[in-house]
Amino acid sequence: MLSDSNISRILEAAMSKTADFAEVFYEENSARGIALLNGKVTGAGTNYDAGVGIRLMAGTNVVYVYSSDKDPDTLIKLALEAADALKGGSPAEIKALEALCKSTPNRIMIDPMKTPKSDMVDFIKKASDYATSYNEMITQTTGSISTGNRLIRVCNSRGLNKEESQSRIRLSFEVIATKGNEKQTGRIAPGSMRGYEFINEYPIIEKTQECCDTAIRMAGAGYAPSGKMPVILGNGFGGVIFHEACGHALESTSVGIKSSCFTDNLNTQIASPVVSAWDNARIEGEWGSYMIDDEGNESSNLQLIKDGILTNYLIDELGSRRMNMPATGCSRRSNYSYAPTSRMSNTFIANGSESPESIIADTEYGLYCTKLGGGSVDTATGEFNFASNEAFMIRNGKICEPVRGATLIGKGQEVLMDIDRVGNDLELSAGVCGSISGSVPVTVGQPTIRVSSMLVGGREAGEE
Amino acid sequence: MDVKLAEQFMLKLIEKSSEYGFEEAEASFMNSSSMSVDILNGEVSSYERSSDQGVSFRGKINGQMGTAATTEFDDDALDFLLSSALENIGVLNDEDEHFIYCDPNNSNLRYEALSPNYVKNTYNRFAEIGLDLEKRILAIDPAVKGVDYLSISCGTGPQIIINSKGLHAYRDDDSVSIYAGAHAEKDGVVKSGGYYWYGTDIDEFNAETFTKELEKRLMGKFGARSMPSGSYDIVLGNEAFISMIMTFFGNFSGYSMMKGISLLAGKEGETIAASCFTLKEDPFYEKAIYKVPFDSEGVTTRAKAFIDKGVFKTAMYNLRSAAMAGKESTGNGFKSGYKANVSASFTNLVVEPGTKNFEQLCETVDDGVYITELNGLHAGVNAISGDFSLFCEGYRIKGGKISNAVEQITISDNFYSVLKKISEVGNDLIAEPHGEGEFFCPSVIIKDISVAGDAEE
Repeated sequence: MLSDSNISRILEAAMSKTADFAEVFYEENSARGIALLNGKVTGAGTNYDAGVGIRLMAGTNVVYVYSSDKDPDTLIKLALEAADALKGGSPAEIKALEALCKSTPNRIMIDPMKTPKSDMVDFIKKASDYATSYNEMITQTTGSISTGNRLIRVCNSRGLNKEESQSRIRLSFEVIATKGNEKQTGRIAPGSMRGYEFINEYPIIEKTQECCDTAIRMAGAGYAPSGKMPVILGNGFGGVIFHEACGHALESTSVGIKSSCFTDNLNTQIASPVVSAWDNARIEGEWGSYMIDDEGNESSNLQLIKDGILTNYLIDELGSRRMNMPATGCSRRSNYSYAPTSRMSNTFIANGSESPESIIADTEYGLYCTKLGGGSVDTATGEFNFASNEAFMIRNGKICEPVRGATLIGKGQEVLMDIDRVGNDLELSAGVCGSISGSVPVTVGQPTIRVSSMLVGGREAGEE
Repeated sequence: MDVKLAEQFMLKLIEKSSEYGFEEAEASFMNSSSMSVDILNGEVSSYERSSDQGVSFRGKINGQMGTAATTEFDDDALDFLLSSALENIGVLNDEDEHFIYCDPNNSNLRYEALSPNYVKNTYNRFAEIGLDLEKRILAIDPAVKGVDYLSISCGTGPQIIINSKGLHAYRDDDSVSIYAGAHAEKDGVVKSGGYYWYGTDIDEFNAETFTKELEKRLMGKFGARSMPSGSYDIVLGNEAFISMIMTFFGNFSGYSMMKGISLLAGKEGETIAASCFTLKEDPFYEKAIYKVPFDSEGVTTRAKAFIDKGVFKTAMYNLRSAAMAGKESTGNGFKSGYKANVSASFTNLVVEPGTKNFEQLCETVDDGVYITELNGLHAGVNAISGDFSLFCEGYRIKGGKISNAVEQITISDNFYSVLKKISEVGNDLIAEPHGEGEFFCPSVIIKDISVAGDAEE
């Protein structure tokens, strides 16, 4: 760890030319985990890495340098080189570092970094044994538990001096069902900022059975139809639609340079009036939570959309300068090798009032996606696509045969307007989001929702 | 960190490993130095420089391999690596043996390909090229509203492997690359497009041809409409074909086959593709910027066909999967970083080009679709079964000629069926960086692909 006086020396070097702002970001990451294939432990790893990132700003110009070498003199030299490379700006004063303020979003009962790996192995083995004896169609199981501690220290030329310790744990389990040449998967991947008690309390057998049922069902399913139709998106990971179709386009990374399809849309209607949505980094124990962001700002519970009206963007320091609006505490990075930028945390569509059953019952014909895979979006055009891992046809208000291979495609602006029903069964689901500042843990979430018309890419002709 | 100091640390690590009970041991070191300049609105908006390094240890006891990695290089790090790896061995019960290897005839492997041009990669040079390129892109058309992303970057850094069997491998090369993405708006319709360049000499970058290609990729998308659903013959553009093959290439891993995850298991020697299709690997391919003489296990690489005239010749084997299959390693065991485990990857991939140029491919298709981009490849596919349903962009082919742009369409099929439905391979070879080297690939014609759209024509 760098001392206050060494951090101050680095900041002084960084501010020695024309920077109006400088920041030192120190990070230590410890990670350990195990991986099983078909009940055998095929992987066990332990990593430790640490490094420092130094960021200088002059207006909206940025210089970022980083190194895994934490020698103070090397870092001062790096800061001086960075100061030389920064263009524009005029010298600003450096405030003395405030007293160090420490925080953590965790409340941990059992430290996962001290849990014996053999406990983790036994846990996954239990799921693997259950799956392989559940049905002979289950031909493969893979599982892992990974835990990590991340310590960050953020200090800047405004005197900010903060440290946060973040601990995360994630379980991943997948089964493959085989039917002839057809192989389909069922998977779970919950994550949490709780301790190892999260694993101990997880209903692994029940969830393993669900994975097996999904894989077996999909291995026997026919192809999804193509064409436009009403689509009901199940709760939980169904929220990836909002994450992709709207969330990314609300980040100042694209809004700040006016390349987002939602630029200059604040206080206008961008979604159907039944839609309200939040980005809340302060949910205790949730996978995407943090108390301070990677710029040292306090995280927030931000309403993004209220009754269809856009109420907030996700803004970091650079976005704040570009947009002349305050930062919202959402600046994140994978690790010290990335400059931070505006990112999502726990992002979800809020509960409505309807039961999921009534939404299905009111749908004459359509696709019901109960499990969604990943997706991607072009924030300039709003065009997105994502995959369904489990889906069923709906006819006359009833859930009918399972279908596989459906891709959902559309434009965020249109789909948000086309959400016509919102359920009351909000659930959050852990994921990892990749963007220009690397991969960060996020949750997506939503209650069951219906999109009145959406393009489904499948392999069979649709019904009229 | 000085390479000599890193090597001293690695030797000490291997020497000390026997005190912890390791029978065989290996240390891997990687150092990377990089620089990048981003341009936005006529200014250098961001400049990054880095120097990052790390070391990993793997050691073997009773056939099990324990691993650990760190960015630290002091005495505490020695103990951390060795005791962590030992703790990990305590829980492992892998049925398949891991190997630490050294070919006595090739124990000192060295590949130094540092370009003398690397010194040209300076902040000022990148800024000058970037600012000029941004101006050129904005001048393409009044509809171009912004260059959203323009980044020039370069990187270099050695990788070293030393093991207790006598291997000392050293590899060092460098690269420079440019990526630019812009968006344009016409009558309320927004389109975005991007292009890239890479090489080892920044002087070889040609801003004029780059801008022309970007113009085609961005402005060509206007006037796009969907099209009626149906079965069409398609020209799968070279870039789109590369992205499709890469999505499913994990199935060519010997390990995936041995574990029954890949549907290619047991199919070596069988016909899995059309006879016009040959996919080979050549570590020393003459057109390749990067040559890759050995893999991350110290096995020397060699040229071979994965698919020869439709016949599946061999999978990618590393030492472990080769032993499982009772074969020799094919030199395809690579680590993607110092922390990573060895897995299947390749040097330079080449799809053997045919004789027809791109225009002739379109003429052959006559009525169909030219697919330029496949989107959502990490989402809209079943990587095991080969099924895909992908949102894509491209152009309608009518009367053998490129017609209007198409959007909001998906193509659906199965990768293994697509390999068999290749009816022509073009000669419009392009290269993209992939694996440990590059992938050289032309456009192809695929027969009878299901296209989903929502418009009449």
